[in-house]
Formats: sequence, structure tokens, C-alpha cells
Amino acid sequence: MSSLGDLQNIIREKYDIEPGALDPNLSMREQGLDSLAVAEFLFEVEDRLKLTLPDEHQQVETLAGLAALIDRLRAEQVA
Amino acid sequence: MVAVTGIGVISPHGDDPDRMFEALMRGESAVHPVFPQLARPAAAATLIFDESRWFTKLQLPGVDRVSQIAVAAASQAVADAGALDAAPERIGVYAGCGMGGAGALEAAYAAGLRGGRVPPLTVPAFMPNAPAAHVAIRHGVHGPVLTYSVACASSAVALAEAARAVRRGDVDVAIAGGAEALIVPGVVSAWQALQTLASPADGEAASACKPFAANRSGFVLGEGAAFLVLESAQRAQHRGARVHGRLAGSGLSCDATHLTKPDSAGQQRALRAALADAGVAAGDIGYCNAHGTATPIGDVVECDALRAVWGDAIDGLWVSSTKALHGHLLGAAGALEAVVTLLALREQRLPPNAHCESPDPRCAVRLVLQPLSSAERLNAAISSSFAFGGTNTVLVFKRA
Repeated sequence: MSSLGDLQNIIREKYDIEPGALDPNLSMREQGLDSLAVAEFLFEVEDRLKLTLPDEHQQVETLAGLAALIDRLRAEQVA
Repeated sequence: MVAVTGIGVISPHGDDPDRMFEALMRGESAVHPVFPQLARPAAAATLIFDESRWFTKLQLPGVDRVSQIAVAAASQAVADAGALDAAPERIGVYAGCGMGGAGALEAAYAAGLRGGRVPPLTVPAFMPNAPAAHVAIRHGVHGPVLTYSVACASSAVALAEAARAVRRGDVDVAIAGGAEALIVPGVVSAWQALQTLASPADGEAASACKPFAANRSGFVLGEGAAFLVLESAQRAQHRGARVHGRLAGSGLSCDATHLTKPDSAGQQRALRAALADAGVAAGDIGYCNAHGTATPIGDVVECDALRAVWGDAIDGLWVSSTKALHGHLLGAAGALEAVVTLLALREQRLPPNAHCESPDPRCAVRLVLQPLSSAERLNAAISSSFAFGGTNTVLVFKRA
């Protein structure tokens, strides 16, 4: 299961950025999401997906990395 | 001499300074009821503001409404001024703001005190220096970027200090003004608790603020932003800029008596200092855009101070408070009223002192009771801001 689609939906709604415009494997910051935008994005992700990102999310630079982290969290929730 | 080469407003009467002025001349009030859920009826002059004109969604995180309108007004002023031809480090921003990002602060308390989660960008959103910072970022300003927080005199002080910085040569161009956006329920309740707001009778919110009237009961809050571009008259002429008018001088003083009560002696000091700084006599001033908050005490003290300084020349001074129509913009009041004063001078027309059917006999000044196309040639005018905390600021404007 990949949470990437969920994240891309949130980005589209919140920032008017289409999935095709953001490479999930490159750094979010380097693609124009500055640290303030990312901070608020993560807050929104936690709100909408009803989970709490652990502190290691601070090191997640890419959308794909964040999606993988969330996949793991969701799997742990179910288990 | 400091020239005003750009004007930008985000006001309760819209974003076009000329249309705003015409609305004021027609005596149109932008005040209306707000927050019906509050225990006491509240009224305010609010904005119709579309932030998407100025910010992409990606630029909005952490940007409170007060910063959004500051950027919008400052950008309009800069566009109005034409090509500035100034190096980034030779431009400065001088912004007044009373409270900072009230909306962000209120949302944080509402969530946090309930045990909920506080939005992560609350601090940069609410900090009072954010509006000035966002203006600087938007316009690439590398010179001094300052915020003046002096309650109702914030943006008047900002304009005064900006003009002095231009005169001293600290900067070549100053983007100066103010912004305030605190019309949120908690803050409005706090103002109601202070008992300085007008009590609007049912269906009469629009005319609730009655400066200098016998039946006045206080002011109404407003939100908005206004910015001017200031540079030396010489520089403006050299680059062929259109000059709206001149910020000829300013005077500042502090009452040092009471945190909220106005003081005639303190106001007189600021009035005299402003006239001296501008090199004019009281009799040279044809119009005063008053502080005029319509509080029972404040209006009397202001007229007292004007009479003390003008003496026999008082009958030659027209006075009106436009707060009746656009509300009290607090930190942005000085800047918005500076724009009104400049336009009055440029157009040779005076906005009325509205909602004053029966002037208080203790406010013995010549009020503009009907909008005026001035018969006598209006060469100079003042705009006064007398703040909580005791700081008094008077700005002197001259025709271009």
C-alpha cells in the first residue's frame, strides 16, 4: 500500500501543485516547498491521515520517503 | 523635503485610493455589525480581500491576514511610484502594527487551551514584525526593515521616522505605512471590555461612531493597510516621478501621564513640534484630519489642544475625523489617514466629519459638517494620531 497518492492529493488541494509537478524522489525543499510550507504540510498530513509522525520525520526530505514512513506507521496501526 | 511618490491602500472602502476618497466625500460608512455570537452587539469596518491576488497557495503558510494586506498595500504603493531606480540596500521598510497576527494568535489559543494542537507556524504568523518582513521579502529590500508598535500612532510614527530617515540620507527610498487586522472575536471582546467602543443601537451600526458629536459614545474598529513611497523631492524630480504631495514635517511627544487618558499638554507639544519641523505657522494649516475617536473625553481634549496651539487662527482650520466612516484602524490608522489627508490636499476637497448632527459645544473647532470643495486655497494640512500609552504624533503635509 502506498500513501504517496494520499500525500499528492493533499499537496494538490493545499498548494495547487499537480502530482506530476513534484518529483517524489527529489528533495521537497529543493523543489520549492520551503521549510514553512513543509512544516504546515506535515501538520495537515497528521490531521487528515489521523496519525502522529515520529521525530524521525524531521529527516525525511522527499515525498517518497515520507510516504514510506507513513506506510510503515499505518501497517503498525493495523497490526 | 520629502515627496510622496506612491500610495497604496487596502481599506474598508476598497483598494483604490481615489475611489476610497470619493466614498469618504459621499459620507459612506463601511461600518457594519460583526460577530452576532458575542454577548454585546459589535460593529467594525472590515475588508473584502482576496489574498490569491497577491499570494500563491504555496506562499501562504505562516502568513497571517495582517501580513497579507501589508504586502498588498505596499505592492500597490510601489507600483504607483514607478521605477524606483534604487539599490536594494538603499531602500527601507518602516511599518506600523499594533498587534501583529491576531488571527493566528487567536486560533492558537483556541486550539491550545482546549488541549488541541497548535498550528506549527503560529509564531512567525503572529509576530508583529511579520508584515514589514513580508513587504521586504516581496520587494527585495536590503536596507533597514523596522516595525513601530505604538498602538493607535504606530503607522504615523512609522511615516515620521521614515521621512526622517530619507532626510538624513539613511535610505534613498522608504516604503512606509502600516497594517492591522484584528477583527476576531476574542480581540473584539477585549476592546468591548475596555468600554471605549461605540454602542451601536439596533440597525445603526454604520453611524455608531460620531466624532465630536454631543451624543458620541466611542469608536468602532477597522482593519486595513496603507503604505506610501517616500523619497527626497530632488530624487523624485530627477527620475520624473509623479508626486502626490509632500510630508513636510512631523512632531512626536509623550504625555507620560496615563496609559489611556489623553492629555492636552502632550498633544500641544506634538502639534507645535510638527509645525516647527515643517517650518509653518498654525495659520498656514487649512485642514486637520483629527484623531477624533469619538470618545467622550478624547474629542474634548483634542479640540482643547488645537485651540491652545491655533489661538485666534482656530477659525481658519477645518477639522474632520474620517474614523466615523472607515473605523479606527489602530496600528494602520496613521497611514490610512495620511493618505486621506494627502488626497484632500491634492484634490482641494475636504471629507466630512460624519454622523455629527449636533456638535458638542465643548468641541469648539470648525467641523467639516458637509463635504467641502475648499473655497480658500488649501496648501498644508495635518493628520493627528494620539495613542494609548501616551505617544502623540502629528504629520504635516503640503501640496506637491
